[in-house]
Amino acid sequence: MRILVIEDEPDLLAGIVRALRDEDYAVDTAVEGVDGLFKAESWAYDAILLDIMLPGMDGWEILRRLRQTRKTPVLVLTARDAIRDRVRGLDGGADDYLTKPFDLAEMLARVRALIRRGAGKPLPRIELRGAEIDLGGRTVARAGETVPLTPREYALVEYLALHRGQVISRTELYDHLFGEDDDTMSNLLDVHVSNIRKKLGHDFIATRRGHGYCIE
Amino acid sequence: MRILPRSIRWRLQLWHGALLFVVLAAFGLTSFLLVRESRLRRVDQELLRRVAALATAIRPPVHREGPRDGVRDGPRGGPRERLPDEGAPGQPRPDGERGGVRPGRGPGGFPRPPGPAPDGGPVPVPEGAPGRAGPQDILLLPAQEELFRAGEGPDAGFYFAVFAPSGGLLRRSPNAPDGVGAPEGGFFNEYFRNRGDLRERAHRSRGGFGIVVGKSVASDVAELRRLALWLAVAAAGVMALGLAGGSWVAARAIRPIDAISATAQKIAAGDLAERIAIAGTDSELGRLAQVLNATFDRLCDAFARQARFTADASHELRTPVAVILSQAETILSRERTTGEYREALEACRRAARRLRHLTDSLLTLARLDSGAPEEEAGPVALDRVAAEALELLRPLAAETSVRLEAGLAPVRCAGPEDRLLQVAVNLVSNAIHYNRPGGSVTVRTAGEGGAAVLTVVDTGIGIGAADLPHVFERFFRADPSRSRASGRTGLGLSIVKAIVESQGGAVSVESREGEGSTFTVRLPAAADSLLVPREDPAVQ
Repeated sequence: MRILVIEDEPDLLAGIVRALRDEDYAVDTAVEGVDGLFKAESWAYDAILLDIMLPGMDGWEILRRLRQTRKTPVLVLTARDAIRDRVRGLDGGADDYLTKPFDLAEMLARVRALIRRGAGKPLPRIELRGAEIDLGGRTVARAGETVPLTPREYALVEYLALHRGQVISRTELYDHLFGEDDDTMSNLLDVHVSNIRKKLGHDFIATRRGHGYCIE
Repeated sequence: MRILPRSIRWRLQLWHGALLFVVLAAFGLTSFLLVRESRLRRVDQELLRRVAALATAIRPPVHREGPRDGVRDGPRGGPRERLPDEGAPGQPRPDGERGGVRPGRGPGGFPRPPGPAPDGGPVPVPEGAPGRAGPQDILLLPAQEELFRAGEGPDAGFYFAVFAPSGGLLRRSPNAPDGVGAPEGGFFNEYFRNRGDLRERAHRSRGGFGIVVGKSVASDVAELRRLALWLAVAAAGVMALGLAGGSWVAARAIRPIDAISATAQKIAAGDLAERIAIAGTDSELGRLAQVLNATFDRLCDAFARQARFTADASHELRTPVAVILSQAETILSRERTTGEYREALEACRRAARRLRHLTDSLLTLARLDSGAPEEEAGPVALDRVAAEALELLRPLAAETSVRLEAGLAPVRCAGPEDRLLQVAVNLVSNAIHYNRPGGSVTVRTAGEGGAAVLTVVDTGIGIGAADLPHVFERFFRADPSRSRASGRTGLGLSIVKAIVESQGGAVSVESREGEGSTFTVRLPAAADSLLVPREDPAVQ
């Protein structure tokens, strides 16, 4: 899952990014409004965390412009807690609203919910092909037994599961699983897929040659 | 106790009514009195005319032996008594008529041989009157008799009575009422008197004869009463009309006030955008409404500023807290390397320092806002304060390679020293912060016409014309990105302004974008520094 964080306070940004990376999200950052909008428009992020008081361009404007092209789930992070501000944020196209200072656990839960809803899967558990994916605990179980997956492997399974039945291209997988800071090697994806097949069964992930991967 | 009602409208109405009442009453009374006076005068003139006529008919007893002779001779023969008011206007008597004797004239006339005075009873028929009652006979010419005919109207209904000098009744007209008294007093005494509805003229002639001529004024009185009634009715009508009109006028006059109070109430209830609709700006109320609207505008601005300040303050305070929370939570969520711990702790320390700085600034502002008196406010050498500020900020200037220059003429001003130092430090650090590498900051102090002036000139980025009016506003930052990262709160200049104004001074700014800004602080100079030269040319 790839997330963009637009926040101008460097220490806060660092904290949020660390928390998200700890959860194995791929995280991009922007410390300024114009840059933030550019990134948000350029990539299909799974979620965007957006501060409102930003240099360059404020959060409302970013939200307004972004909504003209993309429907990426946006969680607004702001210290403005007046009801009017919240209403304005939600009416302006934000999907959720979180007031600073916030608990990271709550922020992460809201991010998970955003991603889930963005993929059209409101429940935190997905069952498919004999495996049960717990989106909250970020685990995959088979016949009641938790299958040990690396974070990246889990992220791959989760992404494909959230888009069940769709063929996901390698590029899209790259975009969503690796942040801009990750060094991505072209065959890394194949390695992850092969490892997942070893753990969950060979036909868990289908390969559509020339198109991408799919979980049916 | 309260007599007048509280409502202005009703008070106006009351005053208006009272005034109207007084005017109407005065007018009605005057009219009534004038009419009454004129009526009375007319009756009196008629009375006088008749007294005069009657007086000619009385023969003075001192020149004649017997009344008969006198009667026979007629009024023309013997010397006559002088009329009380012969020739008075309104009594023209053609000569021809005077001579025309026509005895036995109509029932209203009197017989030539006058009967004796009746003993009190009514005298319905002139002929039937007894022969004589005193030494005097009274001869009435027909024209004179005509004066005493019975009937109604202004010329009729007069009666008379003639009394002997002794007081006995000599003769009276048949229509004379009972109880007609003789005139009082001596010779030539004459006067008007009223007996009930009777108006009488009493006259004592030279010979001592008493003549009383009278008339019942009952009809006049009744008419006057009718007049009074009509006047009262008319006055009541006018009063009612006046009150109604007054009420309308008062309501019209009050209506704008009602509108104003309704608007003010809405504003008091929280609708700050409400304004009074001003119809005519020239009237007093229009001007009042304009003044009130301007006041509401300022109030609204103040509220908006306050709301923005609160929102900004909470935002500024929450951000560092969010930093501390997020850093601490992530770092504690699992084992980290020493480097990571150090990094997180440093972030926390930065946030905590920022919080301290913010709370200090907010407290300073709150104290200045509360207007609490500062402890000591002795004379302070402003030049020394500026020098101290420069000394404190020299490391910062060196760090950003900004040159500090000073032109400090000695000048003293009143005020707490630490606050003035804060002013200088805030201005200079601002000038350093918004400068460019290699730029300069020049600090000058001088005495200028009773004011101690501190000037801070920088060669920095300057302030845009759009931002210039806002630089002293709390939490205002021309460019948030530049300042937030460097730990600036956006309160420095507003603190400068608050301190300077609390000392009775003023701070102003001039700036040109890209060339730099000049901040000027003017403080009231201490008394002993007024003679200090304006500027020290040696330090430029």
